[in-house]
Amino acid sequence: MDTSGQLAAHFFREHSGRMVASLARVYGMAHLDTILDAVQDTFETALTHWRYHGPPDHPRAWLSQVARNKLINALKRDARHSYADEAAAPLHALSTTDPDPALADEASTDSQIQLLVVCCRPALSERDRILLTLHILCGFGIPELANALQMNREAVKKALQRSKALLRQKPLTLGQQSLADVAPQLPTVCTILYLMFNEGYKSTRNSKGIDVDLCYEALRLTKLLHPVAPPEAEVDALLALMFFGVARFPARRAAYGDWIPLEEQERALWDRRLIAEGFHYLDQAQRRGHAGKYYLEALIASYHCAAPRFDATDWGAIHRLYRLLENMEPNSPLIRLNRLIAQSYALGPLPVVSELAAFKGDGSAGSAFLLAATKAHVYQRAGYTAQAHAAYEEALSLAQNPLDKQLIRKRMEASKSAATIR
Amino acid sequence: MKEFLMLIREDANYGEMSADEMQACIEKHYSWVETLKKNGRFKEAQPLEAGGAHIRGKQRIVSDGPFLEGKECVSGYYILLAESLEEAIEIAKGNPDLDWDRAVEVREIMPMED
Repeated sequence: MDTSGQLAAHFFREHSGRMVASLARVYGMAHLDTILDAVQDTFETALTHWRYHGPPDHPRAWLSQVARNKLINALKRDARHSYADEAAAPLHALSTTDPDPALADEASTDSQIQLLVVCCRPALSERDRILLTLHILCGFGIPELANALQMNREAVKKALQRSKALLRQKPLTLGQQSLADVAPQLPTVCTILYLMFNEGYKSTRNSKGIDVDLCYEALRLTKLLHPVAPPEAEVDALLALMFFGVARFPARRAAYGDWIPLEEQERALWDRRLIAEGFHYLDQAQRRGHAGKYYLEALIASYHCAAPRFDATDWGAIHRLYRLLENMEPNSPLIRLNRLIAQSYALGPLPVVSELAAFKGDGSAGSAFLLAATKAHVYQRAGYTAQAHAAYEEALSLAQNPLDKQLIRKRMEASKSAATIR
Repeated sequence: MKEFLMLIREDANYGEMSADEMQACIEKHYSWVETLKKNGRFKEAQPLEAGGAHIRGKQRIVSDGPFLEGKECVSGYYILLAESLEEAIEIAKGNPDLDWDRAVEVREIMPMED
């Protein structure tokens, strides 16, 4: 805590995950709900006091101590109410005065990793795992989750209840496993963090600011895994990919909220420090020599970040990398679409027109929009004005958010005026 | 300089505020109070516990106050320093609590007659 009385950015959010993890480790996953309540309650107490007096000298210690006391009191209260639960509540551990080694910082990183493994258990759907992780490890409330994942609040609430019930039913013995024991599960955790990041990256096209936070949270949690994950989890490559992504955030949004596509971005706005971090992790990934999906994606992102201008992009290299990715995941329409885009820049739009025209997406609304928008753009560049116009109309009807609509309209205008000049 | 009592009225239930939002609320208050101090407009401030009692009349009838859950009640107070009620009102308008739809009440503390 510095003397200015200011808290680190997102201090509450980060510390929320830390406290839940440490408390779950000591008192057990069976008490997850009580733990979450105690932590929420702790922040409310902090809000009451700190609002008037400013944060204390040691805000971390203050919060941890208060949360622990609140939890112990709640567990004692519960234990008095039901004898049946007494076995579950380790009453001997319920002393508010003992020093608590589990709340030390290193231990809390380990607990967070273990809790992350629990939240990312394959028994839950991918979306439920993202929700649960954001809720439990990142302190996201229901409105924030609804906003970030574009769900309604009721649906978020129900999904969380369902997931938490499952965690209570089959509580993992958190803390009894060593980090080596959970290592084999870390690739699954990485998949969820990758999806969480993409979810945030995708929705930075919405008007709310929360989505950027999703990316930063995914990045923070991936960093926790870095020292302990096995090579096949590709944590280095995933971190590189994430850094290359967040580095470009400042350029993706115009002052008036429009979403700006790669080719029009002001590259001077890209964050060079974050790009350097990306290259640092890419380098580490290269040394580990595990060329998986994240590595290929990170390499592609690195080519974009290294290009001083859009028309100086090494599309040949990017095209080859997408081919490799496509071999790895032949059923992903998104990868194939991206390969076609890269190909259209590497070899010109004409060679991809027929493949694009025959392309069927996976039927989801999001991929149908991207497909139509890509078709429109490629047709336009190939000089097929009428087909481009029809595809733009289709994209417009499929667009799910106002910023996508705006972008398509802008491109339509541009193609019309280009046609008139010609 | 005159003294003014500023009462904060709010629903003691913080509802669905997220961790991030609570932190933002604290930080806004902190920097607001720092500015008041710098300008010599701040004397003291304290939060009030949610619990309490209401005692009334000759018979000293004690009841729980309307202090809990869901009802707007006084959650804390400030003593502000200002030249006039008008200035005190302007200062009070800067209270970040208002951004969270809470209400504040400003009253001049009557000075002792010399």
